[in-house]
Amino acid sequence: MATAQTYLYKRLIRSLIVFFIILIINFILPRAMPGNPASILANEHQLPPEAVNILTREWRLDAPLHEQFIAYIKSIFTGNWGFSYQYYPRTVYEIVMERLPWTLLLQGTTTVTVGLTGIILGMIAGWRRGSAVDASITISAVIVYAIPYYWLALLLQYFLGYKLRIFPISQALTPGAIYHSPIDYIADVLSHMALPVLAVTLTAYASYALIMRNSMIDLLGEDFVFVSRAIGLPESKVMRIVVRNALLPPVTMLAIRAGYIIGGSIITETIFSYPGLGFLIYQSIIYKDYPVLNAAFFMLSITIILANLIADFIYVLLDPRIRYGERR
Amino acid sequence: MSRGASAVTRPAEALKEILIKNTKGLIGFSIVMFFVFMAIFADRIAPYDPYATVDKPLQPPSPKHWLGTNDIGQDIWSEVVYGSRTSLYVGFTASSIAILISLIAGLLAGYKGEYMDEVISGVIDIMLALPSLPLIIILAAYLGPSLNNIILILAFFGWVGGARIIRSQVLSLRNRDYVEAARALGASSLRIMFKHILPSLAPLLIAEFVMGTTSAILTEAGLSFLGLGDPTVKSWGQILRHAQASYAMQLDLWLWIFVPGLFIALLGTGFTLIGFSIEEYTNPRIRKRI
Repeated sequence: MATAQTYLYKRLIRSLIVFFIILIINFILPRAMPGNPASILANEHQLPPEAVNILTREWRLDAPLHEQFIAYIKSIFTGNWGFSYQYYPRTVYEIVMERLPWTLLLQGTTTVTVGLTGIILGMIAGWRRGSAVDASITISAVIVYAIPYYWLALLLQYFLGYKLRIFPISQALTPGAIYHSPIDYIADVLSHMALPVLAVTLTAYASYALIMRNSMIDLLGEDFVFVSRAIGLPESKVMRIVVRNALLPPVTMLAIRAGYIIGGSIITETIFSYPGLGFLIYQSIIYKDYPVLNAAFFMLSITIILANLIADFIYVLLDPRIRYGERR
Repeated sequence: MSRGASAVTRPAEALKEILIKNTKGLIGFSIVMFFVFMAIFADRIAPYDPYATVDKPLQPPSPKHWLGTNDIGQDIWSEVVYGSRTSLYVGFTASSIAILISLIAGLLAGYKGEYMDEVISGVIDIMLALPSLPLIIILAAYLGPSLNNIILILAFFGWVGGARIIRSQVLSLRNRDYVEAARALGASSLRIMFKHILPSLAPLLIAEFVMGTTSAILTEAGLSFLGLGDPTVKSWGQILRHAQASYAMQLDLWLWIFVPGLFIALLGTGFTLIGFSIEEYTNPRIRKRI
């Protein structure tokens, strides 16, 4: 167990360092801009000079940098993230927290669908290597590999949304809808998720499928498979052994890429006007709403750091070499 | 690696194997050359000046304007042709800078070892764990939209994966007999690195360069699509952005979206196929799988 623990400790420390870097970047970027947040806010909303003074004092904008940094760290952890330039007097915290659940829902779902689709297709292709099924799975995977998902998203939106009207094309809920039961609500949420999830899954599954296939094929050439068959184990059992062992590379990859999938949410959500953090980042770029931009970026980064950590835990659970401490 | 080593002695032969004899390589090479050609001769291929208003806005496709006109009356096909320049320029320059950094970092970490390795490997490890896409986006938002900023940002995040691979390759090369021999003869570290180790890294560097170019092109398109691209230069992502903002779908102008996206996908596929071909060439074990 010792190795598993050291491995996880190392990962935890790395996550903390990454978290700290994000904190610092988030601190430096707004301060590198001309003008300070208080006077910008005052200009936008014609606030009286007293308001500027209050804000300056609260954010300690006239204090030396290290004091500003301490005030900044305090405010980060207390959720005191200031006001939105665009939606003043709404607070940044309110706006960000309203969006966070939607991102978690969408990204959680796509991570699962991408992983499952890739692994299952790769498993079939690897098991039936050289067959027509294998060829069609491999070729389609290579083709979608380079497709930008926002393009596919736009096409799906056009054909399935506008032309065939199967799924709603934007937002997370029907505006102004009244739900008579929780089931109605869930159905509405699901139908709005359909296109974004489909677009991300169709473009992202490919690499997992290819890796799972290669991993299966490598294992199928191993002696233990030959022996298992020779002693008369049923094919279903052989398959189960191979699949279990072949899972490691795609799951590792899913762990590394979890961050990318979440990062990619900025574009996916923008296309579908999905009210998550990604769309919020886009909106705050357009309106130059820097406090919101920073907070949304901060939350999205934390989501990614946590997703990577969870993936590390799963990795340890799956890899017996790490679990039982016989690595290297 | 034996084939990788022979690639060094006959680069022309190696290129022929990778780009002509391998079907994937040939298809990929043709696609990339198609766009390179389009970029070089953009001013002759494009029927109009892509920056000039040449007709009424939002015209549907016609013999005069193959893809119609955009929201301010520019010819979309001419925009798309010029867009190839931006994609290739950003892809090649960002990837070149990135590969240079990863080469220096990988060589230093792998060959110098010890504390140098600790530091560089540590940095690589952290950089790989950073949420790169949100970071790229927020940096681009603060630094302001310019092509050079985008290239620098992409290069800054693009070198990491390559450096790790180069490092491990250098680690395995530094103890080869011919390197030991050169050292015994009193060759300097610099000479060994450049004269003996660098040539053996060539296939790896090319593969990394190709992959880096693909991802730089795709990321640049994504940034432009979000409105973080250089507004003064035509790019495919930016065309898609204007199409979406002008409700191209509602107006049934779907070619406006279809063609620029298709070109991004095609160029990406082209580079990816070349990447596969290089991999098959340097690592024949893969070929058995296919």
